[in-house]
Amino acid sequence: MGNACNTITFNAAQCDGCGLCMTACAETKGSARIQVLPAEDKTYALSLCRQCGDPHCVSTCPTGALTKDVDTGVIAWNGDKCVDCLLCTVGCSYAGISLDAQTRRVVKCDTCDGAPACAAACPTKALRYVTTARIYNEVRDWEDLFAPGLSGCQGCNTELLMRHTMRRVGPDSVLATPPGCVPGMGSVGFNGLAGTKVPVFHPLLTNTAAMLAGVKRQYNRLGREVTAIAIAGDGGAADVGFQSLSGAAERGEQMLFMVIDNEGYMNTGMQRSGCTPFGAWTSTTPVGPESRGKSQDAKNLPLIMMQHRCAYVATASTAYMEDFYDKLDRAIQAAKTGFAYLHVYSPCTTGWRFPADQNMEVARKAVETNFVLLWEYTPGQGLRFTHAPDNPLPVTAYLKVMGRFRHLSPEQISHIQNKIEENSAFVTSLAQSAAAQA
Amino acid sequence: MNSASVAERPAPVSEKKPKYMLCEGNEAAALGVALARPDMVALYPITPQSSLVEHLAKLVADGRMDADVVEAEGEHSVLSVLQGATLAGGRTYTATCGPGLAFMFEPYFRTAGMRLPMVMTIVTRDGITPQSVWGGHQDAMTVREVGWVQIYCESVQEVLDTTVMAFKIAEHHDVMLPVNVCLDGNYLSYGSARIEMPEQAEVDAFMGGKDVNWHVALDPLRPMAVDPMTGNASGSGPATFVRYRKGQCRGMQNALKVIEEVHADWGRRIGRHYAPLVEEYRLDDADFALLTLGSMTGAAKDAVDEARAAGRRIGLIKIKTFSPFPIDALQRALRNVKALGVVDRSVAFRWNCGPMFQETLGVLYRLDRHLPAQSFIGGLAGADITVEHFHRVINDTEALMQQPERIYHEPVWLNEKD
Amino acid sequence: MDATQYLIVGSSHAAIEAVNAIRLHDAEGSLTLATKDSQLPYSPTVLPYVVSGRSSPDRAFLRDDNFFARQKVDFRRGCALSALDPQRKLARFADGSEIAFDKILLATGAAPVRPPIPGLDTVPCHVLRTLDDATGLRAASGRARRAVVLGGGLVGMHAAENLVEAGQVEVTIVEMNSQVMGGYFDATAAALIEKAFAAHGARLLTGHKVVAAAPAGQGAVLALDNGENLEADLLLVAVGVQPDLGYLNGSGVACQAGILVDDTMQTSAAGVWAAGDCAQARNFFTGTNTLNAILPAAAEQGRIAGMAMAGDSDLKPYRGGVPLNTYRFFGHHALSVGNGDAPPGAEVMTRLDEAQGRYLKAIFHEDCLRGIFAIDEFFDGGVMWELIRRRIDLSAMRERFFADPLAAGRELMSQHWR
Repeated sequence: MGNACNTITFNAAQCDGCGLCMTACAETKGSARIQVLPAEDKTYALSLCRQCGDPHCVSTCPTGALTKDVDTGVIAWNGDKCVDCLLCTVGCSYAGISLDAQTRRVVKCDTCDGAPACAAACPTKALRYVTTARIYNEVRDWEDLFAPGLSGCQGCNTELLMRHTMRRVGPDSVLATPPGCVPGMGSVGFNGLAGTKVPVFHPLLTNTAAMLAGVKRQYNRLGREVTAIAIAGDGGAADVGFQSLSGAAERGEQMLFMVIDNEGYMNTGMQRSGCTPFGAWTSTTPVGPESRGKSQDAKNLPLIMMQHRCAYVATASTAYMEDFYDKLDRAIQAAKTGFAYLHVYSPCTTGWRFPADQNMEVARKAVETNFVLLWEYTPGQGLRFTHAPDNPLPVTAYLKVMGRFRHLSPEQISHIQNKIEENSAFVTSLAQSAAAQA
Repeated sequence: MNSASVAERPAPVSEKKPKYMLCEGNEAAALGVALARPDMVALYPITPQSSLVEHLAKLVADGRMDADVVEAEGEHSVLSVLQGATLAGGRTYTATCGPGLAFMFEPYFRTAGMRLPMVMTIVTRDGITPQSVWGGHQDAMTVREVGWVQIYCESVQEVLDTTVMAFKIAEHHDVMLPVNVCLDGNYLSYGSARIEMPEQAEVDAFMGGKDVNWHVALDPLRPMAVDPMTGNASGSGPATFVRYRKGQCRGMQNALKVIEEVHADWGRRIGRHYAPLVEEYRLDDADFALLTLGSMTGAAKDAVDEARAAGRRIGLIKIKTFSPFPIDALQRALRNVKALGVVDRSVAFRWNCGPMFQETLGVLYRLDRHLPAQSFIGGLAGADITVEHFHRVINDTEALMQQPERIYHEPVWLNEKD
Repeated sequence: MDATQYLIVGSSHAAIEAVNAIRLHDAEGSLTLATKDSQLPYSPTVLPYVVSGRSSPDRAFLRDDNFFARQKVDFRRGCALSALDPQRKLARFADGSEIAFDKILLATGAAPVRPPIPGLDTVPCHVLRTLDDATGLRAASGRARRAVVLGGGLVGMHAAENLVEAGQVEVTIVEMNSQVMGGYFDATAAALIEKAFAAHGARLLTGHKVVAAAPAGQGAVLALDNGENLEADLLLVAVGVQPDLGYLNGSGVACQAGILVDDTMQTSAAGVWAAGDCAQARNFFTGTNTLNAILPAAAEQGRIAGMAMAGDSDLKPYRGGVPLNTYRFFGHHALSVGNGDAPPGAEVMTRLDEAQGRYLKAIFHEDCLRGIFAIDEFFDGGVMWELIRRRIDLSAMRERFFADPLAAGRELMSQHWR
């Protein structure tokens, strides 16, 4: 199998056509290898080498001047071997390699050796250099520890989280999956058949952290290194399971406690939890003449966990897998000596009412609107943002992509917007004070 | 509280000088735990158990017990953290009572279902409302149908000895059930008495190897799914469930035999003998008898002795093992009894009697005759059941012999007018 | 006798693409690549640049030995295919050796045509198809004073330009058609090209034929159809190529000018595929099988053949050959994509800037682009190729497209296949 490679991505919806990418490219390379083009309805398109996996420019080159580097993924052009025949420009269907009118030679993107100037210059993040390849190249070699065919809802990102997390954590672990979507998908198994290759159990909804602490302590006593990990839902963690979570965090029990926050009791039919946001429809905060969805704001569990001064606390989103993986690595490390808490936002296709193919987009919109803030905390370093919360989109960009907020009144929307700003200001002040102390 | 009834001591097993000390029942329990060498104890204080966990913490702090101490944030987590440790192969212990027991009900139920051989002392307490921090069996009696083995102690020495034995009973492969050692709040918890400490080496030899999670484990070296969902009635789910439930019941019944064997072994090695299930006191030629439980038995025996001195043919039956209920042993004890007075320290609301009385009714059904019996409820909320109270019980029970066909109607409340 | 699962004969673009395609689907199946050449793979297209010195012969290779090692290919040089037996699945080579195969790809390319000119076989002359040809021609160029190039196609024009640039050579190009580069450009474009050659001192004799050749000293003298005699101390014959298919005699594989293939590059014989300059595949415009001896077609056909041989289910059938080429002369760029014929109903748009030597021509037919041709006008050849093959409707934006085919093409690309 080939390697995954880092790549420049373009999100047309975020491009305003400012052209700074072209300027940056031209300044770096002498002439622009990237071009933003006006497309239909005031949108923009991009012409840039895609560093194809099966590059036709390379197949049509008669001199071997173009080569695909299987490690970096970059198609390199060797000017010494090139005879300027231009056949490569015919081979490429994407205008990724073209004639430079000044030098009269072909030019193409070389990703600036892994630090592309265009992405750095893009003010709207329409262009991004995605470096997740490292993760996938590593993940490929790790053992998948779940049975095939977990029975999640269509489009749910939880299976992704479970598989990726356990691949990273590895087989020398004990996994606790309290009642909720995770065991509902078959993590523990049914009728005597196991759902994973690691020791796994249902704790009660209420006692995950406590049971896991007992397991971990006994292995410490035996001198065996075993990672204790919980993959829990928000209901069990923030509501009825909060006492044991808080107690274990206070005692600094050595474990990785991961909460998959789908903002409600989704496995049992989408009832409200303490993490359900204001205004959201749930089956117990229905919409009718006397009710407009949940009338209280959500509990901010990660901030509460931060106040326990856990060894590590972070929020994450599956729309930002690289960020998630960095945090997962740090959480696994922190769990060797203390309590590590990882809070992952998990849009629920079924309960939030959006199309099954939109999960990542909903997750991304949550971050782009600051509805979800991505940060991490350690007692030594304090809190820091891992994704800048500057220039957020209005919250309507998030609310409108799902059905559970469809009924909101302007007053409710403005309440949510205000809460976002209040929360963002509060967390920003934490980050600033941590930075000031550093 | 009266002195314990320790059976006649045979010649000492060891030539070493016996080690005596004065301690309260809570400390005796802690000392028994230390002798059993658990891997983990989890602590959460509650009256009248608090000094027990304080003693445990001190034993560990002083280096006299090598166990991991978890100061959990509540009883629910206390039991949960022990479940985790047991699933990882640890021998575990805790103690609670009353409201604490109620709070831990969810994992409490599950401990038996997962067949985890854990030991937990219930320093029995009445309650929960009317508010009371005083002794009484209401807490332990309320959970008698949850699947734990429950053994009641009569004396401080028996607390120490039974606590050690409880681990051996729980971990026996034919049992694999959690065990409650019940000691009466106030009367045993705080009552001090001279005890004799067994030698650690003797206890080690008695305990043998530790093998608590051979049947169910959370261990990366032998990965398994612990407690997967049983499916619904359209498949094999209910059949799987029944298989587990029947196994639990079988373990409970096996416990009767194992408890006897373990007590016999303890007596052989340590030199102290206790009736493991049902104790018969001056019963051989008795026409009528009292049935007691726990620390009240001391006063009851004094009353029986006085009544005997007065020429009345009275005997006493004490239940030590309440769960599983010692049906056969009790039936044997009742072979010649013509009237029975059952003294409970708690209430069975549904039958308007004491819970032990209610359980005994089931045994009476197995007799080929009608045995008139009366429920007495006393000692609630820490009240003392004195020798005088037992004389009233004796009188009332003796009177029953004149009404051989009498059917039970309502209890006699012993401390009502104290 | 050696046996292999996949046998590929030839080592240029079609062969290399077939290797890649097979290995994407079948990482392990035995694969043998046999070529009559004694060199590592190279492209005939690079040869004019070897002649000019732009590419050195030792750096003109497409792939090195590592490529074959990595792709697990048994690479055999100096193996000229001499006979094929599709029934017995045997290939015989000039040295008498045989290889048994499951599947074979014929990618044997084409050889220069030698026109039937009386006396031509008596005079020293060059052709340009192999690396040896190129190094020989380069050496001869340095000594030449009077050079004659027969044929005004890509190879001939490239070579002529090289000779002109070398400086001290008098160069004459003889083309029997009325214009040079007839396969790819119209007369207007050809005139611009011819003008550039004339400006650099080359003499173009279009519309003329050589009718006889005779030795003269170290060179030759050529008689033209207008009575003129040309002296040449260097003669290059570059009137075109055609497949050399002698090895198919008696094989039963259907051939016309080339080997007839279907849209998966399979020949009439089971287990036998053909791709590249030797194959006669479907023409995109006519639907009939025609030769299309260009590099991009060879690469595409080789890829399809490899996928078909390996049983890759992602295989999409050949969409048909489209003539296309790029041509660089004296610093100018000429680009030709598509069919230069204008059928009835076609719309032809042209733009000529004679002073700057710039020319653009586009042919639209049935709302779609049919061909686009340019000298020093810039657009993305690959994008145009896709516009033609996808039959993108340009009726609404024809004017805008023609005004700026580079920008319009990329815009269309972003709408249709990004």
